[in-house]
Amino acid sequence: MHNFLLATGFGLVTASIIAISAVALSLQYSVTSVPNFAHGEVMMVGAYSAWVVSKHSASIPLEILVSIFFGAIVSWSINRFVLQPFLHRKAKNLVLFVLTIACSLILQNLVLLFFGGAPRAMVMSVGGVHHVGPFRFTGMGEFTIATGVVVCLLVHVVLKYTFFGKAQRAVADHRELARVSGIHADRTVGLTWLFAGGITGLSGFILAITIGSLTPTTGSAYLLVIFAAAVVGGIGQAYGAIIGSLVIGLTMEWSALYLPSDYKIFIAFGILITMLIVRPGGIITTRLRNVAE
Amino acid sequence: MLNYWVSVLTLGLIFAMATMGLNVKWGWAGELDLAMFGFIAVGAYVYGVVVLPPSKLPAPDHYILGLQWGFFPGLIIAMIVVSLLSLVVGAVALRKLRGDYFGIVTVAFVLCLAIFISQYTFLFDGFPGLDGVPQPFNGVLNLSPTGYGIFFFALTILFTFIAYFILELLANSQFGRALRSVREDQSAAMAYGRNVYVLKLKAYVIGSAVAGMSGAFFMAFMSAFNPYAWAPAETFLLFGAIFVGGSGNGRGVILGALFVFVAIQEITRLFPVLPGNAQASDALRFVIIGFLIIAVLWFRPQGLLPEVRDRDGEPGPTLKDRSISFRDGWVHRGQRIIRIANRSKSEAK
Repeated sequence: MHNFLLATGFGLVTASIIAISAVALSLQYSVTSVPNFAHGEVMMVGAYSAWVVSKHSASIPLEILVSIFFGAIVSWSINRFVLQPFLHRKAKNLVLFVLTIACSLILQNLVLLFFGGAPRAMVMSVGGVHHVGPFRFTGMGEFTIATGVVVCLLVHVVLKYTFFGKAQRAVADHRELARVSGIHADRTVGLTWLFAGGITGLSGFILAITIGSLTPTTGSAYLLVIFAAAVVGGIGQAYGAIIGSLVIGLTMEWSALYLPSDYKIFIAFGILITMLIVRPGGIITTRLRNVAE
Repeated sequence: MLNYWVSVLTLGLIFAMATMGLNVKWGWAGELDLAMFGFIAVGAYVYGVVVLPPSKLPAPDHYILGLQWGFFPGLIIAMIVVSLLSLVVGAVALRKLRGDYFGIVTVAFVLCLAIFISQYTFLFDGFPGLDGVPQPFNGVLNLSPTGYGIFFFALTILFTFIAYFILELLANSQFGRALRSVREDQSAAMAYGRNVYVLKLKAYVIGSAVAGMSGAFFMAFMSAFNPYAWAPAETFLLFGAIFVGGSGNGRGVILGALFVFVAIQEITRLFPVLPGNAQASDALRFVIIGFLIIAVLWFRPQGLLPEVRDRDGEPGPTLKDRSISFRDGWVHRGQRIIRIANRSKSEAK
């Protein structure tokens, strides 16, 4: 029982990290309908930029801002300089997917080229261990969970109560209809990449300080776990991403009680595949998304 | 020097086989299969355990079979096992998923496979992997290392050509045409009574079988294989080769494979090595290939050698139509190659 509670605590922390990233992926996927394979690399860029800053100053807020900034810039550039030109030539969706794969190759290996493959230490002074209810958290874990909650609330508020959010939902539903209604679809999509990229960069930073080190493949190793969470929750649903992340995060940590920890990711992928085949719209969905042909 | 170039070209041709297999999936059927390198790896492992003597490794290390059956049985069994595996994967993933979700499922599959093979040491000896796989026919031939290298190169050329001719026959058969109709427009193919699911599944299995063959050659050539020797990301190199060469064109993808796996490899070798960064030339190669994929898709989406269009004179898109749908192409009539647009222009006169 003790181990179970401990694993649940870890699971909540893992779920928060996944949730931050999955909310961004889900938002960007639903608005632009491009599955972004470079998502993990945007996380990694955010983490590396924070690492560069951390060598010069120890200011955590500055590191957070820098990771958000670079994540947003990289994500926006992928859309502006690679995807959008192709989109204007009416490229097929699969071609856009391949382009994001190419971007992910380029980003990951550029970082490998300039920073090398050796893991970089990324530490944050950790507060002691507290007991919260039945769980035990480190200061780091509490910080992660709090960030997760704040980010998910922020995305929810933006989607629900701002004009930008309304425009996003309109474009996600039907791009052409949104355009005839006077919404600048290209600008909305660009801003979505910027917004989602910022959150992604932040999630990369959080992931790196939780693991304690980062390598050029840190982001891509988590890419499919994040996809899994987004798909389980239902693409395009902020609350869905939270539920999906809880399902994936908790299952992964619970499975580590019984199986070697390398099988954690196995479990997440199993859920992803099962979910796509059995209930492709996600757990909470009001309409069937068009995942089948 | 001769040794070096022979071995580089042999490897290039082995990857050309794999690219041909991927061409069946992507070029003919339009399936974005990101699990390709997993099938190559399984082909290599299965060939290894069929050819190797029984496992005598100490306790947790172990590999199955160990039949010592020689090259041809190894090759055939590797292809059969890979086909069966891909039949299962394809039957699940092709069932009702849209293209991009299919890609995601195949990535998930290949990562699971990588974890499973490296963790479950009973099967293929986990991380240490297989080594000491005997060179095919060398026991009979007793050639010098150089001579054997050339012999194996010739064997690889032979099998590349066999695969090429079988695939070309298939491409021009009714099956190949039906498959391309599925790629261009599924609903139309369905309306003409094609079973889209079965057609796509067949293409998936055929492509994977060719991947299994290239895996077996890879194992025979390298005589060792472990999880470090393959990364799921290498599938993207195969895609790079297809885009450069021209998806759907058999000769094109061989050319593309030689370009990506021989030319770019050799070019990146010339760059100075950064001190303290052993992976720099690999990283540079992937960066170049990433830019290459984007550039090719932008400037020449049909590739260096575009797909040969049907000879029935079906009008293709005109020059003005710059949309990227892999549809622009050339019409091949006898020996002459005529640009579709020119022909339709002269017919208009």
